[in-house]
Amino acid sequence: MTTALSPRRSEPGTSESAGDRPSARSTRHPTRPPSGLGWILPALVLAVGLIYYCIGYTGFVSTLDWDGVSPDPPSVGLRNYQRLLADPIFWKALWHTLLLFVFTFGIQTMLGVLFAALLHSRVRIGVLYKVLIFIPVVLAPAIMAPVFRQIYAPDGEFNQVLQHLGLGFLAQPWIGQPSTALPVIIAITIWQWTGVNFVLYYAAMGQIDESTVEAARIDGAGNFRVLTSIVWPGVRGTTLALAILSAIGALKTFDIPYLVTIGGPNYATEFLGTYIYRMTIPQAHVGYGAALSVVLLIIALVIAAGFQLRGREREVPRV
Amino acid sequence: MHRARLQTFDRPQAVPRPRRQLPVKLPARLPAKLPTKLPAKLPAKVAGAVTAAAVLLALAGCIPGPGKPPPPGPATSGTINWWSWTPTDAAVAKQYIAAFNRRYPDITVNFKLVAIDSWDAVLRPALASSSGPDVFDMEPGQRVQLFKGFAEDLTPVARKALGPEWKSRLATIGVNGLSHNGKLTALSVGQTYAGTLWINQPLFDKYHLEPPRTLAEWKHVCQVFRSHQQGCFVQGAAGAGFNQDTLQAIADSVEPGIWTRASKGEAKWTDPSIVETFRIWKDLFDSQIMQPGAIGYQQFPDANNDFLTGKYAMIMMGTWYMINSTRTGMQSSLNAAGVAHPKAFPIRPVPFPDVGGKGNPAGLFGDADYGLSVNIRSKHRAAAETFVRWLATSTEGQQAVADSLLDPPSLQSVKPRYDKITMVDDARQKPWIKKLVSQTSTVSEPRMSLMNNDVSTAMQAGASGVATGQLTPRKAAELMQQAADAAAAVNR
Repeated sequence: MTTALSPRRSEPGTSESAGDRPSARSTRHPTRPPSGLGWILPALVLAVGLIYYCIGYTGFVSTLDWDGVSPDPPSVGLRNYQRLLADPIFWKALWHTLLLFVFTFGIQTMLGVLFAALLHSRVRIGVLYKVLIFIPVVLAPAIMAPVFRQIYAPDGEFNQVLQHLGLGFLAQPWIGQPSTALPVIIAITIWQWTGVNFVLYYAAMGQIDESTVEAARIDGAGNFRVLTSIVWPGVRGTTLALAILSAIGALKTFDIPYLVTIGGPNYATEFLGTYIYRMTIPQAHVGYGAALSVVLLIIALVIAAGFQLRGREREVPRV
Repeated sequence: MHRARLQTFDRPQAVPRPRRQLPVKLPARLPAKLPTKLPAKLPAKVAGAVTAAAVLLALAGCIPGPGKPPPPGPATSGTINWWSWTPTDAAVAKQYIAAFNRRYPDITVNFKLVAIDSWDAVLRPALASSSGPDVFDMEPGQRVQLFKGFAEDLTPVARKALGPEWKSRLATIGVNGLSHNGKLTALSVGQTYAGTLWINQPLFDKYHLEPPRTLAEWKHVCQVFRSHQQGCFVQGAAGAGFNQDTLQAIADSVEPGIWTRASKGEAKWTDPSIVETFRIWKDLFDSQIMQPGAIGYQQFPDANNDFLTGKYAMIMMGTWYMINSTRTGMQSSLNAAGVAHPKAFPIRPVPFPDVGGKGNPAGLFGDADYGLSVNIRSKHRAAAETFVRWLATSTEGQQAVADSLLDPPSLQSVKPRYDKITMVDDARQKPWIKKLVSQTSTVSEPRMSLMNNDVSTAMQAGASGVATGQLTPRKAAELMQQAADAAAAVNR
């Protein structure tokens, strides 16, 4: 065993000794496969075969004017991308995605931190609250969509509640008009995903050194000060991860707007996901839909990379 | 030991990899020095080449085509799969199949109902692969364009069943809508016609109201209903299809045939009559004939359920609603609508009001509701043809269709046997339904078959925009014309 672990036992000139000298290795064995290739090969094949092949295929389709079934679709080069840049619905969908991200991330983060902080204090029947907060996460949107359509219908429960509260003048067809449909979609998304933020913040807060909190309290910090100066910086990594997840989730938004408002009225709740589906399936513009998908992928990658870089920049001073 | 393991994780490059661990078995004659290099270089090159070849081959072969048809199989035996979006009540389809099996007991028909919203998403990959259905529903218009390559030309089947004059024996509107450049992509099972309103007769009786004949009367009727906390007219304006019905009915009231001429490209969508159509459409919202939040409603299930549960007294539906005149059809629809204590009530088709105020008679417009296509790749094509021929061209099959009252049948010699149909209120409803069916025999104006998908999308955007005040009627008409121009340019 000891023999196997010692680099000095390797013969000179072989790849084993080269492992100690990266520069020599790169010149003498430029194409040497990385160790463990055999182990990662199945995953590699799966990833390349399923994911990267599909991405490549989508890129290929995005250069076609294809209805999805014609055997000889004409190539249109980058014309689908040109069309996309001039498409007001695409920009509208992108704007809705941005709004969804800003509001859902902001409000979910606030609620997640609040609930997690409250439940880290001594609360009676805390387990019940945790379950209640998390239940929406496990409910399928397909099940909840008809419920929300009913709740926000002109004669739905939301308007009935408003009327009972003496706020009947606020009653309106919430999902039947462009001005209120998007806020409804945002509200449903927040309702559904706040549980995830809560769970992650709850776990992250458990990792904060209690002695730091106690020291702050000895120094006279109140609850709010502890939350903002100790807890909030302490869960920064979780916030970053949630920001990435929220951004990618916003880009991939499909089920709730499609099931509740079908992207309407008048494209008021159109997102990239619903627009890709609208173009690809009902409209049979598969090439254009593929171009939209490629742009969606690029945006997702840029956002993820941006968040990662930002996270690293913040980490550097701490190290 | 524990420490040594940790070091191993930290510096994996230090682990020696003896030659015997290499995965490639080397030939015995190779020089002694080669083995250390060959296996090291080969995987990278081979992997690169294999990957590149695989990607190229895959990309080159990834556009599916119909391919060469397999042998047709026997005509009177076998199992065929029929994929369909209608009849939405599977019990009706099973009635058809049971009647078919009395004549052809050795052909098993598996009926699969697919929601119309998912139809393209489900059918497209299935037809492109070899796992598609043997028989599938075909809708006139865009879907004929889309799926024509996968459908067998059924002209010989129709000719064999009905003789050389087969076209004259079938409803013209059904044949035309399902044909493309002389190829009959499907045989129409029945026609569907729109342009009618359906009313809840007991509610009209309760408030002593008559069906409206003009826009002013329609506004009055709705005012009376509203004054009794009763919903008047309900429309699922979130979807293009049913909005098109209403807009086409309005357009026919303003100038008969203008919608069809614009669909054919013989008139501009910016024609003043179309602009006037959108103005009247807007008036329906402003005068609260349309229910609040209509443009967030879907015709199915929202508007349909609201009508069947009595929340609203009127709805824009076509002949497909005749089935709700029957006692069993109404009961089934009420159950599907989730009515707690379902009580069937008589519904009545009434002409669309003269909203244009020009005295033009209300017209109907229609297409084949659905045709049956035979998959060109089916291994049971002969049995599939037998089923399609029986249902679409035989007196026996068409009688089953007619008696269901789902669609007026395609074969012109067949009429519903009203004496065998039980309606919710036989005495009142039979004359109404008989009149409607007789009106359909003279209809020549198409409903959906001429409408391009992109124009339809523009129409929906325009209709929603006008309803919400975001667009003027003129601008909505221009949107449609722009889409029509773009579609025409693509076709050229």
